[in-house]
Amino acid sequence: MKITIDILQVLILIMAAPLVRGVIARLKARLQRRRGASVWRPYAELFKLLRKEELVPPTSSAVFRLAPVVLFGATICAAAFVPVMHASSLLGSQGDFFMLVYMLALGRFFLSLGALDGGSAFGGMGASREALVSSLAEAPFLLGLVALAVLAARADIAGMVAWTLGQNIFNISAVHILAFTSLAMVTLAETGRMPVDNPTTHLELTMIHEGMVLEYSGPSLALIEWASAIKLHAMLALLIALFCPWGMAASGSGWGMAAALLLYCAKIAVLAILLSVIESAVAKLRMYLVPDFLGVASAVSALAVIFTMWVKR
Amino acid sequence: MLTGSIAALFALLLAVLAVLVPLILIASRAESARRLAVALILIASFAGCVVAVSSFLRQPGPVLDLSRATPFPFSFAVDRLSAFFLLLVCSVAIPVTLFGASYFDLHYSEQRRNWTWAFLSLFLSSMIAVVTASTGFAFLAGWELMALVSAGLILIEGDSTERRHNVFIYLLMMHVGAAAVAACFFLFLPYSHGLDFRAIRAAGAIVPPGIRTAVFLFAFAGFGAKAGLIPLHLWLPRAHPIAPSPVSALMSGIMLKTAVYGFVRFAFDFLGGGPWWSGYAVLLVAAVTGLLGILYAIAENDLKRLLAYSSVENLGIIFLGLGTSLVFLAHHAPLGAALALVAALLHAFNHALFKSLLFLGAGAISNSTHSVDLNELGGLQRRMPLTGAAILVGCCSIAGLPLFNGFVSEWLTFRSFLAGSTLIDTKAQIVLPLMVGILALIGGLTAACFVKTFGVAFLGRPRSAGAEDAREVPLGMRAGLCLLAAGCVLIGIVPGLLLRPLVPLAQVLITGAGVPSETLSIARITPWTAAIVLGTSALVVLFKRRERMARTWACGLPELSSRMQYTSTVFSKPIRFVFARVYRPDRKVEQVPADQPYFPVSISYRSVRTTSYERALYRPFVDLIVSLALRLRRLQTGNIQVYLLYIFLALVSLLTFLRFQR
Amino acid sequence: MGLVGIATEKILSSFSVFLFLTILLLAVARRISTSVLLFGLQSAIIAAEVLATAFQEKLPQVYIVGALVFVIKVIAIPRAFFLLTRRLKTVRDVKASTTPTQSVFVAVAIIYLSYAAVHSYGGAVHVPDDPLAAAVSLILTGAFLMVSRKKALMQMLGLLVLENGIFLAALITTFGMPLVIEIGIFFDILMGLLLMGIFTFRISDTFEHLDVSKLRRLRG
Repeated sequence: MKITIDILQVLILIMAAPLVRGVIARLKARLQRRRGASVWRPYAELFKLLRKEELVPPTSSAVFRLAPVVLFGATICAAAFVPVMHASSLLGSQGDFFMLVYMLALGRFFLSLGALDGGSAFGGMGASREALVSSLAEAPFLLGLVALAVLAARADIAGMVAWTLGQNIFNISAVHILAFTSLAMVTLAETGRMPVDNPTTHLELTMIHEGMVLEYSGPSLALIEWASAIKLHAMLALLIALFCPWGMAASGSGWGMAAALLLYCAKIAVLAILLSVIESAVAKLRMYLVPDFLGVASAVSALAVIFTMWVKR
Repeated sequence: MLTGSIAALFALLLAVLAVLVPLILIASRAESARRLAVALILIASFAGCVVAVSSFLRQPGPVLDLSRATPFPFSFAVDRLSAFFLLLVCSVAIPVTLFGASYFDLHYSEQRRNWTWAFLSLFLSSMIAVVTASTGFAFLAGWELMALVSAGLILIEGDSTERRHNVFIYLLMMHVGAAAVAACFFLFLPYSHGLDFRAIRAAGAIVPPGIRTAVFLFAFAGFGAKAGLIPLHLWLPRAHPIAPSPVSALMSGIMLKTAVYGFVRFAFDFLGGGPWWSGYAVLLVAAVTGLLGILYAIAENDLKRLLAYSSVENLGIIFLGLGTSLVFLAHHAPLGAALALVAALLHAFNHALFKSLLFLGAGAISNSTHSVDLNELGGLQRRMPLTGAAILVGCCSIAGLPLFNGFVSEWLTFRSFLAGSTLIDTKAQIVLPLMVGILALIGGLTAACFVKTFGVAFLGRPRSAGAEDAREVPLGMRAGLCLLAAGCVLIGIVPGLLLRPLVPLAQVLITGAGVPSETLSIARITPWTAAIVLGTSALVVLFKRRERMARTWACGLPELSSRMQYTSTVFSKPIRFVFARVYRPDRKVEQVPADQPYFPVSISYRSVRTTSYERALYRPFVDLIVSLALRLRRLQTGNIQVYLLYIFLALVSLLTFLRFQR
Repeated sequence: MGLVGIATEKILSSFSVFLFLTILLLAVARRISTSVLLFGLQSAIIAAEVLATAFQEKLPQVYIVGALVFVIKVIAIPRAFFLLTRRLKTVRDVKASTTPTQSVFVAVAIIYLSYAAVHSYGGAVHVPDDPLAAAVSLILTGAFLMVSRKKALMQMLGLLVLENGIFLAALITTFGMPLVIEIGIFFDILMGLLLMGIFTFRISDTFEHLDVSKLRRLRG
């Protein structure tokens, strides 16, 4: 029974990811006083790309063809660590949040290699900037998660969720506020949203992720776009699970699961609104200001770890 | 009976490597003699692996006592710790020998080949001697022999003023380290009446605290110099890049681990943990080493220097685990100490595997393209697919990505930091979880560095004629590379193979430790993650559609050339810019002619990176020693009567000393 | 207890977290207007805390203090700053001598230091740890701002943040000083600000800039 629920959670994370992206895009459009495309647009785009033929540069090697595949596989594996409706996950085990971070790193590693294999300057530029951002974003990511782990005295995400479920929602904990701040900043950096990277641009001056996927087309591009949508969805789900998990079903009953799913949709909607407001309100940071952004995130998460000593709430 | 035969096997393998093979190679120049020597080395290494595994399973292991033939006590014994490191030495030696067999055939002349194999055999035997020695004399003999023979191997490769200077610095620092290690042994002498390891272990319990602190400091300094911890790492980027690639693989992969072995032997086996501050001191040095090592590695364009600095960084990670273990020991938490020790030892083994793989890869690259400058490579994956795949495995392993072995040891190190939050002491509660951030930063920078390395060297278009004409390497080299790559992947997916023996080893070194549950949980979960990633990839690959070759898009730019790609220098620029305080390069822009700025004939740009310690730490120290030496020169007046006076004064002071001793 | 009661209890137990957040954000702020807004936010949090204390301890004069804090520090002083910035036509940059990353790590060290110092007092002063540590952090942060920001306006702001910290410390340990003293302190601050404003105008007129690091004629 638990396996079914866990597999269902992973499927939700994978299948609903383009919808989350579509919702955010539409909200941004509305905020910018445009009509915006339909929220189901990303699905149409994925179908279109999957049916097209693939163009491969002649100078590329097997790594170019392998990169989107490994990226997709690694992102799915990372999504298998995140609880959605029930305080458990498919690959949940002690110390799994380290695995989650490094699975995402595996995907990013291969995507950067694929970018360099294209043989153009855009791929190199994207890969070089991505190397800068990701190397600095890992420390606050892990420190924020470690702060929560120390507070909950548990080492797995499901355990942290279960501990948070037992807490009073109105007890504002300093550690949680600081950890949320730093993890939110890391989410923006890792998923390539404003102010770190502009996901809608195609100018070489402003792109990190888009620069890396410039040479891809057809099914490979579909896999990459889907993988980045899954990554965004998984990280938002992680934020919800760690900081606002109330409403998750305690037992495996059908009605409990349905209610938890509805509540989850509401929480994702709130986060989507927040994200679109931030993306529309803030200008993209200059490239060399991003390390400052991530340095602030590191300091805040380090403070969260320090606070776990005094503020055990 | 089995123990007897294992002991005989051990004696035989030492004899073969240390005596027989060099003799064969010196006696005859024939091709068949060399083939025999290589075969003997391979068989001896394989025998070493057998000895190691059987000694691990059945203790007590073989003991080899040669004290009758030598002036000082000289014996070998293979206990569990020695068995683990013996396995490390021998299992890396096999692929490196396979690689070296083709490599030296292609690159060396007849006479140099014989000398190289003779020295290599001696090198292996000296390393085996170090990790299996059971008396101080044997240990120190092997220690010194390692340094000398490796210096010899470096000089066989070529001879020039610069090489001699680098070898000089290498030997100097190795001797300083050896002096510190010898001091450690001799500090035990009044309490153990002899340098047999058993006696030292017994003496370790009764040694007063002041001596314990001194022993710990000397051990840390001596083994740290050998391991290349900052600031004693200066020799590493000088010595490792100029050695031939198989020798670099052995030096980086195995020789640095003998320093880890020595430190574990002293700090954990003999002393049972240092003073209360020892763990924090080791953590501090290790953190600085790891960070600065990888920062210097990122800035390098020479592949072998990059790998040398990366070795510095990985030794930092190993010592992070060892420092954590010492912190746990000081707070009487044996379970956490065992976990951290297992993490450090596993990382030592993993590093041996993937670093030798990467150095052998550098050898393969230089064999095919005659260059190890990253800015001159490119597009090698299409021309050397198997080599590229093996090196890709090495790069993923060193970056600590899941499914490869580097991840398992880093994961265990992270878990041991997390376990630090359960200690009662406030210092440990803050410092250890914050170390997660430092290791995460090191890991992130390593991934960036090796994206650059593999991406610039193997992907894209070739940047020089050498890279364009590259061909796949011969079978021997490919075999060596693939063996090591297979080992990396195997331990990455089934880490239980190494974790199950490591836990009892940690339990032997740390009394009262149970089985850390983390070792079990990682062994359970890695096969599943591998299944999901590989399964998804396989499914996707099965459903792939047709593909068509088309020009690189690059936003429609025409006529792309290889110079329009990102080079290694440019790739690392953002990171170098952010960490500019660390690098402080000397930049010089020269323009010819200088008085006509608008009509230059040529403009040259020079950027020299000297590490800041060379200027701030070493220069004043070296100047001090040189000035002291110059002053001492005045004692040598050349006048014979003054020398007679010295002898007379020595006699007088000796008599006075004897008089006042009563 | 009623909704107001619950709200006051929540405010009293968890307001220090938000003060720490404002401290961290002040360390990174790169524009004068952002710093002034953060100061206003800080003062609003402190005003809320004052009102909550007044409700809990049932001291009517503390309500007046709370109202004064709100009017003067949340509305009047930021307004004055914005007016000043507009009149002086200065560049909006805060001209910090440390990068944002370094500043925020200094802020983290300040917070850690205040906690460590307050912790060691322990039971000697019977007040909860968090608000007192927040007060000490504010004092240290004000001093840090004065030292590391080179614009004269930021010196004023640093002094105001410092005063915020002292006020908070006094509030926690004594649950509101007598009204007369509070009013006296407020007038002192207003006088000080007025003087600083006048001097800033003079500096700007004479030297054409407000960079404090360039005003070094006061040498022997």
